Amino acid sequence: MKNIVIKFLALFMLLAFTNVSANQSTNESTGTNTHKEETYKSQTFGHMVSGFLKSTGIVAFISPDPDELNAKGEKMSTFHKGLGRALMIILTFFLFWLAIAKGFEPLLLLPIAFGGLLANIPVANIGGAHGFLGVIYSMGLSNEMFPIIIFMGVGAMTDFGPLLSNPKTALLGGAAQFGIFGTLVGAVALSQYGIVDFTLQQASAISIIGGADGPTSIFIATKLAPELLGAIAVASYSYMAMVPIIQPPIMKALTTDAERRIKMTTLRHVSRLEKLVFPVMVLTLAILVLPESTPLIGAFMFGNFLKESGVVERLNDTLQNSLINTVTIFLGLGVGSKLAADQFLVPQTMFIMALGIVAFSVGTASGVLMAKLMNMFPGHKINPLIGSAGVSAVPMAARVSNKVGMEFDRNNMLLMHAMGPNVAGVIGSAVAAGVLISLFQ
Amino acid sequence: METNLIVEGFKFMGLGMGTVFIFLVIMIASMNLMSIVIHKFFPESKPEINPSVAPQQNNKKVVAAISAAITHHRQG
Repeated sequence: MKNIVIKFLALFMLLAFTNVSANQSTNESTGTNTHKEETYKSQTFGHMVSGFLKSTGIVAFISPDPDELNAKGEKMSTFHKGLGRALMIILTFFLFWLAIAKGFEPLLLLPIAFGGLLANIPVANIGGAHGFLGVIYSMGLSNEMFPIIIFMGVGAMTDFGPLLSNPKTALLGGAAQFGIFGTLVGAVALSQYGIVDFTLQQASAISIIGGADGPTSIFIATKLAPELLGAIAVASYSYMAMVPIIQPPIMKALTTDAERRIKMTTLRHVSRLEKLVFPVMVLTLAILVLPESTPLIGAFMFGNFLKESGVVERLNDTLQNSLINTVTIFLGLGVGSKLAADQFLVPQTMFIMALGIVAFSVGTASGVLMAKLMNMFPGHKINPLIGSAGVSAVPMAARVSNKVGMEFDRNNMLLMHAMGPNVAGVIGSAVAAGVLISLFQ
Repeated sequence: METNLIVEGFKFMGLGMGTVFIFLVIMIASMNLMSIVIHKFFPESKPEINPSVAPQQNNKKVVAAISAAITHHRQG
Protein backbone atom coordinates (compact mmCIF):
# COMPACT_ATOMS: atom_id res chain seq x y z
CA MET A 1 0.00 0.00 0.00
CA LYS A 2 2.79 2.38 1.04
CA ASN A 3 4.68 1.58 -2.16
CA ILE A 4 1.71 2.44 -4.29
CA VAL A 5 1.37 5.82 -2.63
CA ILE A 6 5.06 6.57 -3.18
CA LYS A 7 4.86 5.52 -6.80
CA PHE A 8 1.81 7.64 -7.31
CA LEU A 9 3.54 10.67 -5.81
CA ALA A 10 6.60 10.12 -7.98
CA LEU A 11 4.38 9.93 -11.05
CA PHE A 12 2.66 13.12 -10.03
CA MET A 13 5.99 14.95 -9.65
CA LEU A 14 7.10 13.74 -13.04
CA LEU A 15 3.90 14.98 -14.60
CA ALA A 16 4.35 18.32 -12.94
CA PHE A 17 7.85 18.66 -14.37
CA THR A 18 6.74 17.81 -17.88
CA ASN A 19 3.87 20.24 -17.53
CA VAL A 20 6.22 23.06 -16.58
CA SER A 21 8.49 22.43 -19.54
CA ALA A 22 5.49 22.10 -21.82
CA ASN A 23 4.14 25.41 -20.56
CA GLN A 24 7.47 27.06 -21.20
CA SER A 25 7.51 25.90 -24.78
CA THR A 26 3.97 27.07 -25.37
CA ASN A 27 4.75 30.44 -23.81
CA GLU A 28 7.71 30.89 -26.07
CA SER A 29 5.72 29.99 -29.14
CA THR A 30 2.56 31.99 -28.41
CA GLY A 31 3.87 35.24 -26.90
CA THR A 32 0.58 36.99 -27.56
CA ASN A 33 -1.33 35.01 -24.93
CA THR A 34 0.87 35.98 -22.00
CA HIS A 35 -0.41 39.55 -21.59
CA LYS A 36 -3.51 38.29 -19.83
CA GLU A 37 -1.42 36.81 -17.01
CA GLU A 38 0.94 39.66 -16.38
CA THR A 39 0.67 39.36 -12.61
CA TYR A 40 1.60 35.69 -12.69
CA LYS A 41 5.05 35.15 -14.12
CA SER A 42 5.72 31.68 -15.28
CA GLN A 43 8.75 30.14 -13.59
CA THR A 44 10.58 26.87 -13.55
CA PHE A 45 9.59 24.28 -11.02
CA GLY A 46 12.92 24.73 -9.26
CA HIS A 47 12.13 28.40 -8.71
CA MET A 48 8.67 27.56 -7.51
CA VAL A 49 10.03 25.11 -4.97
CA SER A 50 12.65 27.52 -3.69
CA GLY A 51 10.05 30.30 -3.58
CA PHE A 52 7.73 28.08 -1.62
CA LEU A 53 10.48 27.08 0.77
CA LYS A 54 11.19 30.75 1.41
CA SER A 55 7.56 31.30 2.38
CA THR A 56 7.55 28.56 5.04
CA GLY A 57 7.25 29.37 8.71
CA ILE A 58 10.69 27.92 9.49
CA VAL A 59 12.43 30.40 7.21
CA ALA A 60 10.23 33.22 8.46
CA PHE A 61 11.29 32.47 12.03
CA ILE A 62 15.01 32.05 11.29
CA SER A 63 15.59 34.82 8.78
CA PRO A 64 12.54 37.08 8.74
CA ASP A 65 11.60 39.27 5.82
CA PRO A 66 13.29 42.65 6.45
CA ASP A 67 10.33 44.56 5.02
CA GLU A 68 7.63 42.79 7.03
CA LEU A 69 5.23 45.19 8.75
CA ASN A 70 3.30 44.66 11.99
CA ALA A 71 -0.47 44.75 12.38
CA LYS A 72 -0.46 48.55 12.45
CA GLY A 73 1.66 48.81 9.30
CA GLU A 74 4.83 49.86 11.12
CA LYS A 75 8.31 48.37 10.84
CA MET A 76 9.21 45.70 13.36
CA SER A 77 12.59 44.90 14.86
CA THR A 78 14.27 41.64 13.82
CA PHE A 79 13.92 40.34 17.40
CA HIS A 80 10.15 40.77 17.35
CA LYS A 81 9.90 38.99 14.03
CA GLY A 82 12.03 35.97 14.85
CA LEU A 83 12.87 34.96 18.39
CA GLY A 84 10.20 37.23 19.90
CA ARG A 85 7.43 35.40 18.07
CA ALA A 86 8.83 32.05 19.10
CA LEU A 87 8.92 33.22 22.73
CA MET A 88 5.35 34.49 22.54
CA ILE A 89 4.17 31.16 21.13
CA ILE A 90 5.86 29.39 24.05
CA LEU A 91 4.16 31.87 26.39
CA THR A 92 0.76 31.06 24.91
CA PHE A 93 1.46 27.36 25.54
CA PHE A 94 2.18 28.30 29.14
CA LEU A 95 -1.17 30.14 29.29
CA PHE A 96 -2.88 27.02 27.89
CA TRP A 97 -1.32 25.04 30.70
CA LEU A 98 -2.47 27.58 33.30
CA ALA A 99 -6.01 27.53 31.91
CA ILE A 100 -6.37 23.78 31.46
CA ALA A 101 -4.24 22.19 34.17
CA LYS A 102 -4.55 24.90 36.82
CA GLY A 103 -8.07 26.13 35.99
CA PHE A 104 -7.06 29.81 35.77
CA GLU A 105 -10.15 31.60 34.35
CA PRO A 106 -10.18 29.14 31.42
CA LEU A 107 -13.25 30.77 29.85
CA LEU A 108 -11.22 33.84 28.95
CA LEU A 109 -7.62 32.75 29.21
CA LEU A 110 -8.01 30.01 26.59
CA PRO A 111 -9.45 32.26 23.84
CA ILE A 112 -6.91 34.98 24.73
CA ALA A 113 -3.99 32.56 24.59
CA PHE A 114 -5.15 31.00 21.34
CA GLY A 115 -5.65 34.45 19.85
CA GLY A 116 -2.11 35.22 20.93
CA LEU A 117 -0.85 32.08 19.24
CA LEU A 118 -2.60 33.04 16.00
CA ALA A 119 -1.40 36.64 16.18
CA ASN A 120 2.23 35.53 16.33
CA ILE A 121 2.16 33.51 13.14
CA PRO A 122 4.59 35.07 10.66
CA VAL A 123 3.57 35.88 7.07
CA ALA A 124 -0.17 35.17 7.59
CA ASN A 125 -0.71 38.48 9.45
CA ILE A 126 -3.91 37.28 11.13
CA GLY A 127 -3.84 40.18 13.59
CA GLY A 128 -3.52 42.73 10.78
CA ALA A 129 -6.29 44.98 9.53
CA HIS A 130 -7.53 42.29 7.12
CA GLY A 131 -6.77 39.20 9.18
CA PHE A 132 -9.72 37.77 11.07
CA LEU A 133 -8.32 38.68 14.50
CA GLY A 134 -7.83 42.24 13.30
CA VAL A 135 -11.41 42.28 12.04
CA ILE A 136 -12.69 40.99 15.38
CA TYR A 137 -10.64 43.65 17.16
CA SER A 138 -12.00 46.52 15.10
CA MET A 139 -15.52 45.03 15.23
CA GLY A 140 -15.96 45.11 18.97
CA LEU A 141 -12.86 46.05 20.93
CA SER A 142 -11.57 49.28 19.46
CA ASN A 143 -15.09 50.68 19.89
CA GLU A 144 -15.48 49.14 23.41
CA MET A 145 -18.52 47.14 22.34
CA PHE A 146 -17.63 43.67 23.68
CA PRO A 147 -16.81 44.65 27.28
CA ILE A 148 -20.16 46.47 27.44
CA ILE A 149 -22.07 43.39 26.26
CA ILE A 150 -20.19 41.25 28.78
CA PHE A 151 -21.24 43.74 31.44
CA MET A 152 -24.91 43.26 30.47
CA GLY A 153 -24.51 39.52 30.97
CA VAL A 154 -22.74 40.00 34.29
CA GLY A 155 -25.59 42.29 35.36
CA ALA A 156 -28.10 39.58 34.52
CA MET A 157 -26.12 37.12 36.67
CA THR A 158 -25.80 39.44 39.66
CA ASP A 159 -28.07 39.26 42.68
CA PHE A 160 -28.13 42.51 44.65
CA GLY A 161 -30.12 40.91 47.49
CA PRO A 162 -27.20 40.61 49.97
CA LEU A 163 -26.21 44.23 49.34
CA LEU A 164 -29.78 45.47 49.75
CA SER A 165 -30.19 43.67 53.06
CA ASN A 166 -26.99 45.18 54.50
CA PRO A 167 -26.37 48.41 52.56
CA LYS A 168 -23.47 49.72 54.61
CA THR A 169 -21.19 46.91 53.35
CA ALA A 170 -21.12 48.87 50.08
CA LEU A 171 -18.45 51.06 51.71
CA LEU A 172 -16.10 48.07 51.69
CA GLY A 173 -16.52 47.85 47.93
CA GLY A 174 -15.56 51.51 47.76
CA ALA A 175 -12.48 51.19 49.94
CA ALA A 176 -11.08 48.44 47.74
CA GLN A 177 -10.87 50.97 44.91
CA PHE A 178 -7.82 52.33 46.71
CA GLY A 179 -6.09 49.54 44.84
CA ILE A 180 -6.79 51.41 41.60
CA PHE A 181 -5.66 54.85 42.69
CA GLY A 182 -2.77 53.63 44.81
CA THR A 183 -1.38 51.83 41.78
CA LEU A 184 -1.94 54.92 39.67
CA VAL A 185 0.34 56.85 42.01
CA GLY A 186 2.84 53.98 41.89
CA ALA A 187 2.85 53.89 38.09
CA VAL A 188 3.38 57.64 37.69
CA ALA A 189 6.07 57.54 40.39
CA LEU A 190 7.93 54.96 38.29
CA SER A 191 7.87 57.22 35.26
CA GLN A 192 8.67 60.32 37.34
CA TYR A 193 11.92 58.69 38.45
CA GLY A 194 12.66 57.64 34.88
CA ILE A 195 12.50 53.89 35.54
CA VAL A 196 9.92 53.30 32.85
CA ASP A 197 7.99 55.67 30.65
CA PHE A 198 4.25 55.71 31.32
CA THR A 199 1.98 58.57 30.36
CA LEU A 200 -0.87 59.47 32.72
CA GLN A 201 -3.30 57.73 30.38
CA GLN A 202 -1.23 54.56 30.40
CA ALA A 203 -0.83 54.70 34.18
CA SER A 204 -4.59 55.02 34.59
CA ALA A 205 -5.24 52.10 32.25
CA ILE A 206 -2.79 49.93 34.20
CA SER A 207 -4.15 50.91 37.59
CA ILE A 208 -7.68 49.80 36.69
CA ILE A 209 -6.36 46.23 37.02
CA GLY A 210 -6.86 46.91 40.75
CA GLY A 211 -10.61 47.04 40.11
CA ALA A 212 -10.31 43.27 39.58
CA ASP A 213 -12.97 43.48 36.95
CA GLY A 214 -12.07 42.08 33.54
CA PRO A 215 -14.56 43.94 31.30
CA THR A 216 -13.89 47.26 33.06
CA SER A 217 -10.13 46.83 32.60
CA ILE A 218 -10.57 46.09 28.91
CA PHE A 219 -12.99 48.98 28.50
CA ILE A 220 -10.57 51.48 30.04
CA ALA A 221 -7.49 50.04 28.36
CA THR A 222 -8.99 50.29 24.87
CA LYS A 223 -10.10 53.82 25.60
CA LEU A 224 -6.93 55.19 27.20
CA ALA A 225 -4.01 52.98 26.16
CA PRO A 226 -4.89 50.43 23.44
CA GLU A 227 -1.19 49.65 22.92
CA LEU A 228 -1.05 48.09 26.40
CA LEU A 229 -4.32 46.14 26.11
CA GLY A 230 -2.72 42.70 25.77
CA ALA A 231 -0.58 42.99 28.89
CA ILE A 232 -3.35 44.62 30.94
CA ALA A 233 -5.92 41.97 30.02
CA VAL A 234 -3.57 39.10 30.70
CA ALA A 235 -2.49 40.61 34.04
CA SER A 236 -6.09 41.31 35.00
CA TYR A 237 -7.45 37.85 34.25
CA SER A 238 -4.49 35.91 35.59
CA TYR A 239 -4.51 37.81 38.89
CA MET A 240 -8.27 37.42 39.16
CA ALA A 241 -7.68 33.70 38.89
CA MET A 242 -4.99 33.97 41.55
CA VAL A 243 -7.26 35.74 44.07
CA PRO A 244 -7.38 32.60 46.30
CA ILE A 245 -3.56 32.71 46.49
CA ILE A 246 -3.00 36.48 46.77
CA GLN A 247 -5.71 37.42 49.25
CA PRO A 248 -5.60 35.04 52.25
CA PRO A 249 -2.10 36.00 53.53
CA ILE A 250 -3.01 39.71 53.42
CA MET A 251 -6.36 39.07 55.12
CA LYS A 252 -4.75 37.04 57.90
CA ALA A 253 -1.93 39.52 58.43
CA LEU A 254 -4.31 42.42 58.98
CA THR A 255 -6.85 40.80 61.31
CA THR A 256 -6.75 39.41 64.82
CA ASP A 257 -8.12 36.00 65.73
CA ALA A 258 -11.09 37.53 67.53
CA GLU A 259 -11.98 39.67 64.53
CA ARG A 260 -11.94 36.67 62.21
CA ARG A 261 -14.47 34.91 64.44
CA ILE A 262 -17.02 37.75 64.42
CA LYS A 263 -20.46 36.37 63.61
CA MET A 264 -22.60 38.64 61.52
CA THR A 265 -26.36 39.05 61.96
CA THR A 266 -28.55 37.08 59.59
CA LEU A 267 -29.47 38.89 56.40
CA ARG A 268 -33.03 40.12 56.24
CA HIS A 269 -35.43 39.13 53.50
CA VAL A 270 -35.39 41.51 50.51
CA SER A 271 -38.65 42.04 48.66
CA ARG A 272 -38.90 41.68 44.90
CA LEU A 273 -39.89 45.30 44.52
CA GLU A 274 -36.68 46.47 46.19
CA LYS A 275 -34.59 44.39 43.80
CA LEU A 276 -36.55 45.78 40.88
CA VAL A 277 -36.18 49.43 41.93
CA PHE A 278 -32.48 49.14 42.81
CA PRO A 279 -30.96 49.03 39.28
CA VAL A 280 -32.99 52.02 38.16
CA MET A 281 -32.07 53.88 41.32
CA VAL A 282 -28.32 53.31 40.89
CA LEU A 283 -28.50 54.29 37.24
CA THR A 284 -30.33 57.49 38.19
CA LEU A 285 -27.57 58.31 40.68
CA ALA A 286 -24.93 57.63 38.04
CA ILE A 287 -26.71 59.93 35.61
CA LEU A 288 -26.78 62.71 38.20
CA VAL A 289 -23.29 62.29 39.66
CA LEU A 290 -21.10 60.89 36.91
CA PRO A 291 -22.55 60.49 33.40
CA GLU A 292 -19.15 59.20 32.19
CA SER A 293 -19.72 56.00 34.13
CA THR A 294 -23.15 55.33 32.60
CA PRO A 295 -21.97 53.18 29.67
CA LEU A 296 -20.71 50.58 32.17
CA ILE A 297 -23.31 51.07 34.90
CA GLY A 298 -26.10 51.43 32.35
CA ALA A 299 -25.25 48.13 30.67
CA PHE A 300 -24.83 46.41 34.04
CA MET A 301 -28.14 47.66 35.36
CA PHE A 302 -29.92 46.87 32.09
CA GLY A 303 -28.95 43.23 32.48
CA ASN A 304 -29.96 43.23 36.13
CA PHE A 305 -33.27 44.98 35.44
CA LEU A 306 -34.21 42.40 32.80
CA LYS A 307 -33.50 39.67 35.32
CA GLU A 308 -35.40 41.23 38.22
CA SER A 309 -38.39 42.23 36.10
CA GLY A 310 -39.23 38.54 35.85
CA VAL A 311 -41.25 39.00 32.66
CA VAL A 312 -38.52 38.59 30.02
CA GLU A 313 -37.11 35.23 30.98
CA ARG A 314 -36.00 34.58 27.38
CA LEU A 315 -33.93 37.75 27.14
CA ASN A 316 -32.50 37.18 30.58
CA ASP A 317 -31.53 33.66 29.59
CA THR A 318 -29.88 34.89 26.39
CA LEU A 319 -27.88 37.53 28.25
CA GLN A 320 -26.70 35.09 30.88
CA ASN A 321 -25.80 32.29 28.51
CA SER A 322 -25.67 32.45 24.74
CA LEU A 323 -24.86 36.15 24.32
CA ILE A 324 -22.19 36.36 26.99
CA ASN A 325 -20.62 33.12 25.75
CA THR A 326 -20.51 34.28 22.13
CA VAL A 327 -19.04 37.64 23.06
CA THR A 328 -16.54 36.01 25.40
CA ILE A 329 -15.11 34.06 22.46
CA PHE A 330 -14.75 37.22 20.38
CA LEU A 331 -13.43 39.27 23.28
CA GLY A 332 -10.79 36.66 24.07
CA LEU A 333 -9.62 36.35 20.49
CA GLY A 334 -9.61 40.11 19.99
CA VAL A 335 -7.55 40.66 23.14
CA GLY A 336 -5.29 37.82 22.03
CA SER A 337 -4.49 39.73 18.85
CA LYS A 338 -2.71 42.23 21.11
CA LEU A 339 -0.34 39.50 22.27
CA ALA A 340 1.67 39.95 19.07
CA ALA A 341 5.37 39.94 19.93
CA ASP A 342 5.99 43.54 18.86
CA GLN A 343 3.31 44.78 21.25
CA PHE A 344 3.74 42.42 24.18
CA LEU A 345 7.50 41.93 24.41
CA VAL A 346 8.26 45.46 25.53
CA PRO A 347 9.80 46.53 28.87
CA GLN A 348 6.47 48.02 30.01
CA THR A 349 4.84 44.57 30.18
CA MET A 350 7.03 43.51 33.07
CA PHE A 351 6.06 46.63 35.03
CA ILE A 352 2.38 46.13 34.21
CA MET A 353 2.54 42.63 35.67
CA ALA A 354 4.27 43.93 38.80
CA LEU A 355 1.89 46.89 39.22
CA GLY A 356 -1.09 44.59 38.71
CA ILE A 357 -0.25 42.46 41.71
CA VAL A 358 0.39 45.60 43.79
CA ALA A 359 -3.06 46.85 42.76
CA PHE A 360 -4.71 43.62 43.90
CA SER A 361 -2.88 43.58 47.20
CA VAL A 362 -3.58 47.23 48.02
CA GLY A 363 -7.26 46.77 47.14
CA THR A 364 -7.55 43.72 49.39
CA ALA A 365 -5.75 45.41 52.27
CA SER A 366 -7.79 48.61 52.13
CA GLY A 367 -11.05 46.62 52.05
CA VAL A 368 -10.05 44.77 55.22
CA LEU A 369 -8.85 47.95 56.94
CA MET A 370 -12.09 49.73 56.04
CA ALA A 371 -14.07 46.98 57.76
CA LYS A 372 -11.93 47.43 60.88
CA LEU A 373 -12.54 51.17 60.73
CA MET A 374 -16.29 50.65 60.46
CA ASN A 375 -16.21 48.39 63.53
CA MET A 376 -15.01 51.35 65.59
CA PHE A 377 -18.43 52.93 65.12
CA PRO A 378 -21.53 51.68 66.95
CA GLY A 379 -23.84 49.29 65.14
CA HIS A 380 -23.68 45.69 63.97
CA LYS A 381 -20.11 44.46 63.81
CA ILE A 382 -18.63 43.46 60.48
CA ASN A 383 -16.25 40.57 60.06
CA PRO A 384 -13.18 42.19 58.44
CA LEU A 385 -12.68 39.11 56.29
CA ILE A 386 -15.52 40.22 54.03
CA GLY A 387 -13.66 43.49 53.35
CA SER A 388 -11.34 41.75 50.92
CA ALA A 389 -14.36 40.86 48.77
CA GLY A 390 -14.64 44.55 47.94
CA VAL A 391 -12.25 44.02 45.03
CA SER A 392 -14.81 42.88 42.47
CA ALA A 393 -13.65 39.48 41.10
CA VAL A 394 -17.22 38.16 41.51
CA PRO A 395 -17.76 35.61 43.00
CA MET A 396 -14.23 34.38 43.61
CA ALA A 397 -13.32 37.03 46.21
CA ALA A 398 -16.50 36.32 48.21
CA ARG A 399 -15.69 32.62 48.20
CA VAL A 400 -12.22 33.37 49.51
CA SER A 401 -13.72 35.38 52.40
CA ASN A 402 -16.00 32.47 53.21
CA LYS A 403 -13.17 29.94 53.05
CA VAL A 404 -10.82 31.91 55.30
CA GLY A 405 -13.69 32.51 57.75
CA MET A 406 -14.45 28.77 57.88
CA GLU A 407 -10.81 28.01 58.69
CA PHE A 408 -11.20 29.76 62.02
CA ASP A 409 -14.83 28.92 62.81
CA ARG A 410 -16.50 26.01 61.05
CA ASN A 411 -19.97 27.48 61.62
CA ASN A 412 -19.28 31.00 60.38
CA MET A 413 -20.84 31.24 56.93
CA LEU A 414 -19.65 34.52 55.40
CA LEU A 415 -20.47 33.84 51.75
CA MET A 416 -23.72 35.79 51.49
CA HIS A 417 -22.36 38.62 53.65
CA ALA A 418 -19.33 38.88 51.39
CA MET A 419 -21.50 39.05 48.26
CA GLY A 420 -22.64 42.54 49.36
CA PRO A 421 -19.21 44.23 49.16
CA ASN A 422 -18.43 42.05 46.17
CA VAL A 423 -21.18 43.46 43.95
CA ALA A 424 -20.64 46.93 45.43
CA GLY A 425 -17.05 46.55 44.24
CA VAL A 426 -18.31 46.17 40.67
CA ILE A 427 -20.27 49.41 41.00
CA GLY A 428 -17.29 51.07 42.71
CA SER A 429 -14.83 50.16 39.98
CA ALA A 430 -17.29 51.28 37.31
CA VAL A 431 -17.50 54.66 39.08
CA ALA A 432 -13.70 54.82 39.36
CA ALA A 433 -13.47 54.03 35.64
CA GLY A 434 -15.93 56.86 34.94
CA VAL A 435 -13.77 59.27 36.95
CA LEU A 436 -10.64 58.26 35.00
CA ILE A 437 -12.43 58.71 31.68
CA SER A 438 -13.84 62.08 32.67
CA LEU A 439 -10.34 63.30 33.62
CA PHE A 440 -9.06 62.71 30.09
CA GLN A 441 -11.96 64.22 28.20
CA MET B 1 7.27 73.39 31.99
CA GLU B 2 7.56 70.11 33.83
CA THR B 3 4.57 68.75 35.70
CA ASN B 4 5.20 66.62 38.74
CA LEU B 5 3.46 63.38 37.83
CA ILE B 6 3.32 62.12 41.40
CA VAL B 7 1.39 65.20 42.50
CA GLU B 8 -0.94 64.61 39.54
CA GLY B 9 -1.35 61.01 40.68
CA PHE B 10 -2.38 62.08 44.17
CA LYS B 11 -4.85 64.58 42.71
CA PHE B 12 -6.39 61.75 40.69
CA MET B 13 -6.55 59.64 43.84
CA GLY B 14 -8.27 62.34 45.86
CA LEU B 15 -10.84 63.04 43.21
CA GLY B 16 -11.37 59.37 42.35
CA MET B 17 -11.75 58.02 45.88
CA GLY B 18 -13.85 61.04 46.81
CA THR B 19 -16.25 60.40 43.95
CA VAL B 20 -16.44 56.66 44.65
CA PHE B 21 -17.24 57.22 48.33
CA ILE B 22 -19.72 60.03 47.73
CA PHE B 23 -21.46 57.88 45.14
CA LEU B 24 -21.63 54.89 47.47
CA VAL B 25 -22.76 56.94 50.47
CA ILE B 26 -25.60 58.45 48.42
CA MET B 27 -26.37 54.95 47.17
CA ILE B 28 -26.51 53.55 50.72
CA ALA B 29 -28.73 56.41 51.88
CA SER B 30 -31.14 55.93 48.99
CA MET B 31 -31.15 52.16 49.53
CA ASN B 32 -32.19 52.65 53.14
CA LEU B 33 -34.79 55.20 52.17
CA MET B 34 -36.13 52.93 49.45
CA SER B 35 -36.48 49.95 51.78
CA ILE B 36 -38.34 52.09 54.35
CA VAL B 37 -40.72 53.41 51.70
CA ILE B 38 -41.31 50.02 50.15
CA HIS B 39 -41.89 48.27 53.48
CA LYS B 40 -44.32 50.95 54.55
CA PHE B 41 -46.38 51.39 51.39
CA PHE B 42 -45.92 48.16 49.44
CA PRO B 43 -45.53 45.35 51.98
CA GLU B 44 -45.30 41.85 50.59
CA SER B 45 -48.43 39.80 51.31
CA LYS B 46 -46.95 36.36 50.65
CA PRO B 47 -45.67 35.30 54.11
CA GLU B 48 -49.24 34.84 55.48
CA ILE B 49 -50.03 31.99 53.11
CA ASN B 50 -46.76 30.11 53.28
CA PRO B 51 -46.60 29.07 56.98
CA SER B 52 -49.80 27.01 56.75
CA VAL B 53 -48.52 25.08 53.76
CA ALA B 54 -44.91 24.51 54.71
CA PRO B 55 -45.36 22.48 57.94
CA GLN B 56 -47.70 20.03 56.22
CA GLN B 57 -45.17 19.38 53.51
CA ASN B 58 -42.52 19.00 56.15
CA ASN B 59 -44.68 16.57 58.10
CA LYS B 60 -45.26 14.47 55.02
CA LYS B 61 -41.57 14.35 54.34
CA VAL B 62 -40.81 13.42 57.92
CA VAL B 63 -43.45 10.68 57.92
CA ALA B 64 -42.09 9.32 54.66
CA ALA B 65 -38.55 9.32 56.01
CA ILE B 66 -39.59 7.58 59.25
CA SER B 67 -41.63 4.91 57.48
CA ALA B 68 -38.78 4.29 55.07
CA ALA B 69 -36.43 3.89 58.00
CA ILE B 70 -38.83 1.48 59.73
CA THR B 71 -39.22 -0.72 56.66
CA HIS B 72 -35.49 -0.68 56.17
CA HIS B 73 -35.01 -1.71 59.82
CA ARG B 74 -37.54 -4.55 59.55
CA GLN B 75 -36.02 -5.87 56.36
CA GLY B 76 -32.55 -5.75 57.84
